[in-house]
Amino acid sequence: KSVHLPYLTLLILIGCTECFPDDRQQNGTGRYDYCVLGAGPSGLQMGYFLSRAKRDYVILERNSGPGSFFNKYPRHRKLISINKIYTGSQNREFNMRHDWNSLLSDRPNLLLKRVSRDFFPPADAFPVYLSMFEKELGLRVRYGVDIGRIGAVRSPEGRRYILTDQHELDYTCSVLLVASGLWVPQRVEFVGSDLVEGYESISTDPEDYKDQAVLILGKGNSAFETAQSISGRAKLVHMLSSNPVRLAWQTHYVGDLRAVNNDLLDTYQLKSLDGLAEIPLDKIAITQLKEQGWSRSGAKKKVNKPKFCVTLKKYLQHQEEKNGSDARRAETLEYQLDNFSMRKPYDRVISCLGFRFNFSIFQSSARPLNSDNAKGRLPRLTAWYEGDNTPGLFVLGTAAHSRDYRSSAGGFVHGFRYTVRSVHRVLEQRYHGNPWQSTELSTTQLQSWILKRINEASGPYQMFEVLGDVILLRGSRCEYVEEFTLQALPRFSSLSGHEVSKHGLIVLVMQYGKNKVDYLGRGRADTEWTTAWKSNFLHPVLYYYDKLPTDEEMKLRPPGWPLPRPKAIHHMVEDFLTEWGTPISHIQPLRRFLEHCVQTDLRAFYAESCFRLSLAHRKPPLFCQQGYLKRQGVARDSRLWQRDQDGGPMPTVRDEGTSGADPAFPAHLAQAGASISAGLKLDF
Amino acid sequence: MWPCVAALLLLPLGGCARRTGPSALTEHTAADFSDALHSGKTLFIYFQQLVSPTISLFLVELEQSADALQHYGVLVGKVNCNKESFHGYCAEEKAVNTVFLFRGGKEFLGFSLDIVFDVNSIVSEVLFAILREEIKYVHTETDLLAMEKAARGRKDIALCYVSSLGTQEHRSMMETAYVLCFTQATEIRRVICFTRFTQPWRRKPKGIGHRNPPKKLIHRARLSFSVSPCSVDETSRSSQVWFLHCSGHSRSMTSEHCPSTRMSQPLSTLSLHSFLQLMEAPLVSEVYQDPSSVRPPQHPYQDTPQVFLFSRPATKREDLYEATALAWRLRGLALVLLVHRSPAVKTPEEYNAAYKLPEKGSVVKYLRSNSADELLELFTNPVEEDEDEEEDEDEEDPEEEPLDALDDEIAESVFENRLNLPDADSLAQLTSDNFHATVAQSSLTVALFYLPWSAVSNAVLSSFSDVAERLEGSEVQMSVVNCAEWTDLCAAESGGSPPIPFQPITAFPTVLLLRPKESAQRYGGLLGAEALHRFITLSQPASPVLLSTEEEVTSFLLEGFARYKPARALGLFRTRADAGVRQFTEAAKSLRGEVLTGLLTDGLAEKWAAEHGVRLPAALVLPSGAKRTRASALPASASAQELLSHIGAALLHPVPELTVENLPSFLSLGRGLLLLFVGEEEDEIGHTQNQALLKEMRDVVELGGGWMERYLVCWLHLGHTPAGMSVLGSYLGSMPPLPALVLTHLPSGSEVYQYPPNTPILASSVLQWLQRVEDGTESAAGMLGGGSWPPTTELFDFLKIMDMQDPDLSRQRASEEKVEEGGDSFPARDKYPHTEL
Repeated sequence: KSVHLPYLTLLILIGCTECFPDDRQQNGTGRYDYCVLGAGPSGLQMGYFLSRAKRDYVILERNSGPGSFFNKYPRHRKLISINKIYTGSQNREFNMRHDWNSLLSDRPNLLLKRVSRDFFPPADAFPVYLSMFEKELGLRVRYGVDIGRIGAVRSPEGRRYILTDQHELDYTCSVLLVASGLWVPQRVEFVGSDLVEGYESISTDPEDYKDQAVLILGKGNSAFETAQSISGRAKLVHMLSSNPVRLAWQTHYVGDLRAVNNDLLDTYQLKSLDGLAEIPLDKIAITQLKEQGWSRSGAKKKVNKPKFCVTLKKYLQHQEEKNGSDARRAETLEYQLDNFSMRKPYDRVISCLGFRFNFSIFQSSARPLNSDNAKGRLPRLTAWYEGDNTPGLFVLGTAAHSRDYRSSAGGFVHGFRYTVRSVHRVLEQRYHGNPWQSTELSTTQLQSWILKRINEASGPYQMFEVLGDVILLRGSRCEYVEEFTLQALPRFSSLSGHEVSKHGLIVLVMQYGKNKVDYLGRGRADTEWTTAWKSNFLHPVLYYYDKLPTDEEMKLRPPGWPLPRPKAIHHMVEDFLTEWGTPISHIQPLRRFLEHCVQTDLRAFYAESCFRLSLAHRKPPLFCQQGYLKRQGVARDSRLWQRDQDGGPMPTVRDEGTSGADPAFPAHLAQAGASISAGLKLDF
Repeated sequence: MWPCVAALLLLPLGGCARRTGPSALTEHTAADFSDALHSGKTLFIYFQQLVSPTISLFLVELEQSADALQHYGVLVGKVNCNKESFHGYCAEEKAVNTVFLFRGGKEFLGFSLDIVFDVNSIVSEVLFAILREEIKYVHTETDLLAMEKAARGRKDIALCYVSSLGTQEHRSMMETAYVLCFTQATEIRRVICFTRFTQPWRRKPKGIGHRNPPKKLIHRARLSFSVSPCSVDETSRSSQVWFLHCSGHSRSMTSEHCPSTRMSQPLSTLSLHSFLQLMEAPLVSEVYQDPSSVRPPQHPYQDTPQVFLFSRPATKREDLYEATALAWRLRGLALVLLVHRSPAVKTPEEYNAAYKLPEKGSVVKYLRSNSADELLELFTNPVEEDEDEEEDEDEEDPEEEPLDALDDEIAESVFENRLNLPDADSLAQLTSDNFHATVAQSSLTVALFYLPWSAVSNAVLSSFSDVAERLEGSEVQMSVVNCAEWTDLCAAESGGSPPIPFQPITAFPTVLLLRPKESAQRYGGLLGAEALHRFITLSQPASPVLLSTEEEVTSFLLEGFARYKPARALGLFRTRADAGVRQFTEAAKSLRGEVLTGLLTDGLAEKWAAEHGVRLPAALVLPSGAKRTRASALPASASAQELLSHIGAALLHPVPELTVENLPSFLSLGRGLLLLFVGEEEDEIGHTQNQALLKEMRDVVELGGGWMERYLVCWLHLGHTPAGMSVLGSYLGSMPPLPALVLTHLPSGSEVYQYPPNTPILASSVLQWLQRVEDGTESAAGMLGGGSWPPTTELFDFLKIMDMQDPDLSRQRASEEKVEEGGDSFPARDKYPHTEL
């Protein structure tokens, strides 16, 4: 508070209306247009957009600094989001494709690389970065406000959310932006689940695992990170979950096992005692072995640590009484199944099953529904990230991942920084009547603009198949709207504030192929543009619709497609360099597709050709109309032309009028005029 | 379709002498010659005055040609002048060496014995003369384009190139043309056109056995241009024939030309005839029986091999597409049949192609072929062809690689020159980091905003670096901005530093002129080296220049600017504080680079105004190249915009010359164009004539007065602006004699009127003609092309291909199909959701 006081007095002195929020801060309560719950990356990202739009907002954070999750997690303190400092490009937008940690702002230098230059930065760097982001942009965050209860009320002005903190102080907000992240550890209930240690509380000192047999539940990044950390000391590490491990480089999903964490795959397959197994976790039971008669034979050792046995629920006797307690030998699988893979007991069982959304603070009036996917761990959201049954409550950040769970990057900083921007645009349109930012282009420039976006835009690249650019065709002009939430396309007009004309629209999406192929094998990549629809790697796809698809069409879209079947589709063939700019394979097919979307010839012509076409036709092609006829024709460069001639005859040069002085010219005329009566007659 | 086939096959083929049987040659007496003449028949008569070995030799040939020509309704005869003396032709000395053609009772043409000396030259030259009106001639590519345009969707064109006249080949073409022109039953679907790219070599009788013209001469007869679909091989000695498939192609895929097939067999009447017939054959026939039981091709295709391709139901459409592509390449060589696999088809699956030769008793041969080229090789003419020639064909066949050939002229020229493109790195780079510092350094920075992958950007970059070279050492800093790299600069995002002095760039390429502490000026002229250099040169002086002495005024009006003769405009105001000065200054700013502007006030202004007889405020303008300034009074309180149009109008030439560069400003006036096309002056006389014509046109403007204001009277010099030639051709369908005066771009419609070509162009008669056009009593000579430009190619339909190869892939789910819960969330890829986020 004391930090704010000099600032406050200054504001009062100059009589600024902006001082009201600070006023409220003094009171510790108040009314806001926008409340952002949580000062993690998504909360701060939204704070930036609200602050830039000069909106009345507050960010409420229960801890004393931003991004507190990262003070503890990941437990082994290495971020696996890449921080690529050198890309060979100075293009800031392009470079964001390879910077997975930074947030969006208009400050060119407000990037994580200022804090860490490591490719996988230490986790501590991230709160430092967030704090820098918050301070340099002057975001309004109130720390130490622990919201314990959220309810919704109807008021004459509409629905209001009331947030109550630990001091029973209320914050009333028209729009609630929940950016609280995921931090409640996910648990699976099974017999003996109380015997399991959690990822959140395990020791991170490998020495504590010396010569132990460790069973890890889960096969995600936290499980493998833990395994990797202890494998140098543990006797063996086994990993157990319902599904086989999924490799991020195969699924293109960064939430699957990243190569940076996958040492254990090596030690498993190179027969070094570690191993992976699949059993649905709710089918297992973990029992603690009693030291029965057999310990008698041994000399007095130190007290034996509890040993844990994995068995299947169905083999347990007297389940009711014995729930989670010591098991008998007869109940172990060693006894039941001759060669069961987990027949040897473990010293520790660790649960690394991820996190769930904290639904507990929401009263029923404001509680989002559980998602259908992700085992219901996340709130269920509309395509524009609003709670299904909670108008005015939006969910941002990792908690909003139910929209693209296991398919795109919406659960990660490099993805949700863009969805947050999209949500902010929805807010601006809905509450302030500001249509989505767009660029008006002449139709002949559309191809260049699309190529520009394809080659640099980071939003659709990171949020592939979720965010896409929408191009509204208007005849000779068009309107380019960036990074729309694709699933909301049927509601495009109301969400974006842009009308769709009778000329239709094009949607530009980056997408992966849906075929399962050998991702390192032969034939994994296509280079032929005519078979571009078979591309496996990330590539641009353009969908042309003559009108907006309906909700029904969106619902019934072909399996695996981000959008319904369009009138016409164009795939641009995957490119090894992810650079789409070659004349024959990328540009010309794109141009021809666009020609069909706008129903006109989009070729470029030299000024001489435009001259001819303008004189010989009522109207020349669009390129001549928009360039040449506006006095901006393209002269054929004498040097280019010179080289043409030096290079021998050019069979395809069709413009006989381009060589400055044609010595044969008078002869032609003489011939044409005199030789054969009236020359050629076209009387057929 | 071919009623004349039988007759044609009966034709005696060149050279085969028929000494037996009654000759068709008639020996006329005076009386029956007169009868025959008046019967109106076409006669080809030689009046024999002398007897010599040469003449006797000729008479033998004449006799042979009589047989041939009677099929074409030409009676060949001779009159023996020694038997009875004819007063007319027998008495004429020139008749000794001349054979005469009579039509409709009159002498039609005389042929020198140098030209008609054997049966081939006689038949070809006679038919050539008769068909003169029926055959179109192509001299330039423009002619051909116009003809193709007119034929599109309606007719096909047979295009023949004759390397020398009077040959067997020439004769074959003429005979075929005759059949096509006169004996086709109902509708002539074909047009034979005859290329005369150059004066063909005419075979001379010396040494009758000498069949081919000397090679040397052929080489000298260089072609003046090449026609893309059927460029004539300059080194080839032989004549060539192409079939242009215009009837089926209302718009061709890649070029303005119709797709074409070149005849590859050696030229003879028979081969030409069957070639043309083959062009009529369906491209691909589809059959459902085994190749062995398919009937051999029926007349008239009985001598053509058949190629069978097999199709499976699953890939039906693809197979047909492939077969069609192959059929295009085999056109004229073989017939393509697509065999649909059905129980009737016994051919083992391992074979995907088969063929059957036309020879009697030949059997179907089966093969497994991996490429169309393999099949093609089977049928390409064994007659050795130059390798180059084949390559040429490959390059030029528009059906060959229609999808990958660049069809955008700018993209193509940039692509062709991709190794020689100027390196943007050699120019100063403006970046987000150095922008402000660089602009502050020089009085004028010219910046080209470009995208490296854009062909237009690269074409302009080439001109731009040319200008940069020329301006090296000057105060002008030429620089480029790569907008693929410096997105934020091009989007005019300052990122905290001083504001960027321009709006976000949304069109590429864009050229901006940047001056320290001023907002940027967008270059709005032609994107070419010359125009840009002129603009930059002329933007260097202040605009307006403040003039305060007599000398300054004189030098302002007379000073040269390199080789440019800019238009100048001088504003005369009472005082510098005059309200109009601000408006004039603003107007001058937007004229900067195009018009030199000066500002003169106080006493000196009064003096100049008085000298020109105008009151202040006033403007003095000196159009480019003009010798005398024109003065006009300015409205007292004119806005900058009004001043601009005032100056613009004052600078407008009464009869401007249209150029590629200035046409847009004239078209934007929206007036009809009264456009005079003049040719290049070859000599002083031509020059004087053109000057006189322009004088007449000025008179048209003056005489017409206000009435003429609806038209822009202008002229186009085909030497300065050769692109105008094809324009004229497209207006009138052919190249008229020059000068030609047309009225076009009327706001009322697309009609193009031509001033009567044989009438002298005089102001008064031009005005009368215009009046007649307005009255609607003149008929249009042509029409402007339409203004709709459909997509250049068929849609490459990925959806269709997906449907073909994997129908489920792109199909919308049926509503009864179970949609996952949550509908619009992503389908989970696996059965078990993952355990961790």
